[in-house]
Amino acid sequence: MKAASISRGLLRNPPLITLALVALVWIVAGLSLRGFAAVGHLRYILELSAIIGIVAAGQTLVILVGGIDLSVGAVITVTAILLPLISPDWDPTGLLGVVLTLAIAAVIGLANAMGQVFLKVPAIIMTLAMATFLQGLLVLIAGGSAVSVTNEAVIWLGSARPFGVPAGIIVWIAVAAAVLTAIHRRPFGARLLALGANPLAARLSGVDVSRTTFAVYALAGLFSGLAGLLVLGMNRQGYVGIGDPYLMTSIAAVVLGGTSILGGRGSYAGTIPGAILLVTTTALITVVNASPGWRSIMFGSLILALLLISGREAQR
Amino acid sequence: MDGTTPLVEARGISKGFFGNPVLKAVDIALHPGRIHALLGENGAGKSTLINLLSGALQPDGGDIRVDGKPVTRLTPQGARAAGVAVVQQELSLAAELSIAENIGLGAAPRRFGLLDYRALRDRAAAASALVGLTEPLEMPVGDLPLGRRQMVEIAKALFREPRVLILDEPTSSLSAHEAGVLSGLVRTLAARGVAVLYISHRLNEVQALCDYVTVLKDGVVTADRSLADVSAEGLVRLMVGRDPGDMFPAFKPAAAGEHLIRVDGFSAGAVYDVAFSARAGEIVGIGGLIGQGQEDFLLGLYGAIPAVASSAAICGVGHLLAGVGAATAAGLAYVPADRKKEGLVLPHTIAANLMLPSLGRLMRHGLRDRRGEAALVADLARQLAIRGDTGRPVQALSGGNQQKVALAKWLPLGPRVLLLNDPTRGVDVGTKREIYLMLRAFADAGKLILLLSSDTPELVHLCDRVAVFREGRVVATLAHGNASEEAIVGAAMGLATKELAA
Amino acid sequence: MTPSASPSGSLYFAIQRRRNRGLGGLYLVVAAFLVVYGVLFPGLLSVGGFSKFSQNWFPLALVTMAQALLMLNGGISLAIGPLVSLGGVVAAITMGGPAGAFGGLLAVVVAGLVIGALTGLIVAYMRLPAIIVTLAGSFIITGVALLLLPRPGGSIPDWLSQALAGQQPTAFALLVLVLCAWKLFLATPLGIGVYAVGDNPVGAFRSGVPVERVRVVSFAVSGLLAALAGLFVAAQTGSGDPVIGTSFTLNSIAGAVLGGVGFLGGKGTMRGAIAGSLLLSVMINVMFFLGFPPVAQYVAQGVIIVGAVAIPEFAGRWRKA
Repeated sequence: MKAASISRGLLRNPPLITLALVALVWIVAGLSLRGFAAVGHLRYILELSAIIGIVAAGQTLVILVGGIDLSVGAVITVTAILLPLISPDWDPTGLLGVVLTLAIAAVIGLANAMGQVFLKVPAIIMTLAMATFLQGLLVLIAGGSAVSVTNEAVIWLGSARPFGVPAGIIVWIAVAAAVLTAIHRRPFGARLLALGANPLAARLSGVDVSRTTFAVYALAGLFSGLAGLLVLGMNRQGYVGIGDPYLMTSIAAVVLGGTSILGGRGSYAGTIPGAILLVTTTALITVVNASPGWRSIMFGSLILALLLISGREAQR
Repeated sequence: MDGTTPLVEARGISKGFFGNPVLKAVDIALHPGRIHALLGENGAGKSTLINLLSGALQPDGGDIRVDGKPVTRLTPQGARAAGVAVVQQELSLAAELSIAENIGLGAAPRRFGLLDYRALRDRAAAASALVGLTEPLEMPVGDLPLGRRQMVEIAKALFREPRVLILDEPTSSLSAHEAGVLSGLVRTLAARGVAVLYISHRLNEVQALCDYVTVLKDGVVTADRSLADVSAEGLVRLMVGRDPGDMFPAFKPAAAGEHLIRVDGFSAGAVYDVAFSARAGEIVGIGGLIGQGQEDFLLGLYGAIPAVASSAAICGVGHLLAGVGAATAAGLAYVPADRKKEGLVLPHTIAANLMLPSLGRLMRHGLRDRRGEAALVADLARQLAIRGDTGRPVQALSGGNQQKVALAKWLPLGPRVLLLNDPTRGVDVGTKREIYLMLRAFADAGKLILLLSSDTPELVHLCDRVAVFREGRVVATLAHGNASEEAIVGAAMGLATKELAA
Repeated sequence: MTPSASPSGSLYFAIQRRRNRGLGGLYLVVAAFLVVYGVLFPGLLSVGGFSKFSQNWFPLALVTMAQALLMLNGGISLAIGPLVSLGGVVAAITMGGPAGAFGGLLAVVVAGLVIGALTGLIVAYMRLPAIIVTLAGSFIITGVALLLLPRPGGSIPDWLSQALAGQQPTAFALLVLVLCAWKLFLATPLGIGVYAVGDNPVGAFRSGVPVERVRVVSFAVSGLLAALAGLFVAAQTGSGDPVIGTSFTLNSIAGAVLGGVGFLGGKGTMRGAIAGSLLLSVMINVMFFLGFPPVAQYVAQGVIIVGAVAIPEFAGRWRKA
């Protein structure tokens, strides 16, 4: 009975449910699986979570504003393949290549926004079309082979551990701080939520719809690009399809965090534990050596289960 | 008439939501052949009562009787079977389906499990003829203007050959002609023995049409009597418990202020080539039949839809405002008619809605100043008498209070021009009065108010002058003394004022 | 104002004629593309050429119908592709076994209907958004397909492959059959409810339309169509592949959107969606025959989809102006 009342209280706060679930899974797994609770393993889980968490930062913003970005996976692939190709040799730090690649990623996001603002194409179609378009373009440009990375900055991102903390996690903390501030302490966040819940009322209340849309999708592109650099740094190789797994996982992390898929309600505070939960579950499934089929089923069931307990979103 | 058995009757019926009683021991009896008016302010419990009578909700106490026999649990199907048909304010039509399919939806004749289009055609045509619907039956409803769709909705109710017809604000989007057809129809049905329950905020309509009235106030029946010897003032008194004489604040002619709006050759949406100017301190009425371009006029001035003008000066800007951002910066504010769809972000809190236009004005170190915002919200809530926790979602408020939020959110910006689109539509009498007083105070403070209204008495009593729109043009501008209800309606319908007086 | 439909005339056919209104442009474009295609490749007019053409179109038409049905009903499915894969997998592992071709067909039909109905039950009764339920569903269905058949394999009886994907226009005949079935469905109270529920669910409920049942039936029929498309694709390749359907999710949306079906529910027509799928199919064929590399199709497809949504939008704006 007591547990029921506690869980009912939790239901009011989706980010907390997700966080509690993460704690529960970690405790159970730590007690029952040898090696799970080792610092190195947990750090590895967080490092993987960082990538999903950063992609999902953009996805959170996009979903809050009432859209969805199905091109994040393609943008990750684009950055992972383009960076080695466009990093100039005369720049030993590799920073120029990083900046150029991130700029391209942001421009792709801007293009997504342009289609919506000027052509009135719905987000889901615009970004899906963008993903398809980029996929074809990449093969035409880069051919089918993998490219190795020599860019110092990216290699550092993928391997450095200042004070024992992987660089990826540090980047994630910075992104999280920025996104949480933007959502909760800047006018931008309130406008975003209003736009996601009722675009017409928001527009008539003076919210600049075009500007907000541009900002949100550019950020989504930028964050995907950043995640792409991390993926590249950890893999040391870019190839077509490298970003594919991150599309659905980014959406799943947002949903797991209790953000309404319909927009206008939620926070990045839920996405953070959502990303960790996702990686942990995947890791556990790998530990118990499940086949890809079972992994896919459990993954889908997890999204469905969380949707059922946290978000009975009345549609009518 | 008292000798007949009521077709549908509620006895001592009660209903509450989340512990708040909405209806307390309400009695109502719908007799055959009687046109029964149901009056009450918003939030008095009218919709709840309709939902109980049509089986959409179950009562907490009391019982509902059909043909004198108590029904244990009235379901929507049960109510339909008992011959209860409801025409709600929200239309129940599907745009892509034809008029005939819409009329028959959910009750269409079938043959071998398929719709019987032949029988549907004959019966739908009969129902359409009753309401004066001449459009071809195969026409998709989406191609009809709003007023005609309302007629389809009524035909849809008639198609079910109801014994009890409940009409919830049926004339809110009808033209005068259509409203006239409807009145005739209601009388015909009553003469055939149909019991009609008629809900309207337009008292003259109710007085002209209805025989009997039930008045609800705060979930209690305050009157249940014949309409024969009650005046409009008496009805309002029953609804609000106050004398209606002071409904409108005393009129005060505007002191000639500076020109805040001056446009020439202005076109936007359905508006074509309009010349218009207005000064600070004025309340200018915008009247006319529904959909003659009035809304587009306001939206065009506000920069919300594309507009052109041969010359324009708005709040000191020498051209039309390019967008909503420019308009609010220049000192314009727009309060939409449909507060749920256009005015408010319903699932968000009252505080968030109040802050939306002023975001970014209260900042500290580049972050939102939480304390300053809280103080501003508390101040606005107090000024407009919005009671209760501002952390509640705005959809928890009654219609009148929602309208106050939609208006109040602009005040921190100190707008000089208020563009109000039917601010009292669907608002209860008490809040209406509060809004009128507010408008008077704004004008006294030197603001310009453009008041688009479908409620002609508002235009007559509040406005310095009234611009009447017809087919996208201003066909008459009537000064306060000349703007009688007859003059406004006459101009709106394209009659010269003289002809109408004769 | 034209007088009411000749009181003695058939209302049904008047409505059918009326539904073509606004689709004239689309029909013209489709016809133009078909002519271009026919001029470039006169083989289209031979029995074999026409058979091949309709075989390329058929699965696309089925998935487009599956998607359009849900979009008209106010939903969308991201699980169309996985369902196609699953339909093919089920066919490939059952038809070679003791169940035989007929048992296999039955298994595919049941799988499509049951999975569709389950999705529909969750969407309709739990009031959850279709897009995210079908997103989760796409993972689960893909997983099931992978469990049943971890790598391409299984087999479709040769005679069935020949019958469906051989030199006769069987696919076209089947499509005509499917369309007739759809017209019958649309003339039932449930079928007409699809439009009403998509456009105005509250109003439909108040009118006595069983809103939840309409949703569940729509999802079930949609699942059936997608699974049958999978069976056909498996017959074309002769075996099952657990990921062969992936591209159909996007293509189904593209076809429906090209045909003027809106995202908000209740807007558009099935005949438009089918014309849209035909247009998409012809475009893909033309590109293939013009010698574009397969990946260039992706680039073009991205552009086509955006264009399909943007052009009517612009046309609408001009018409208003």
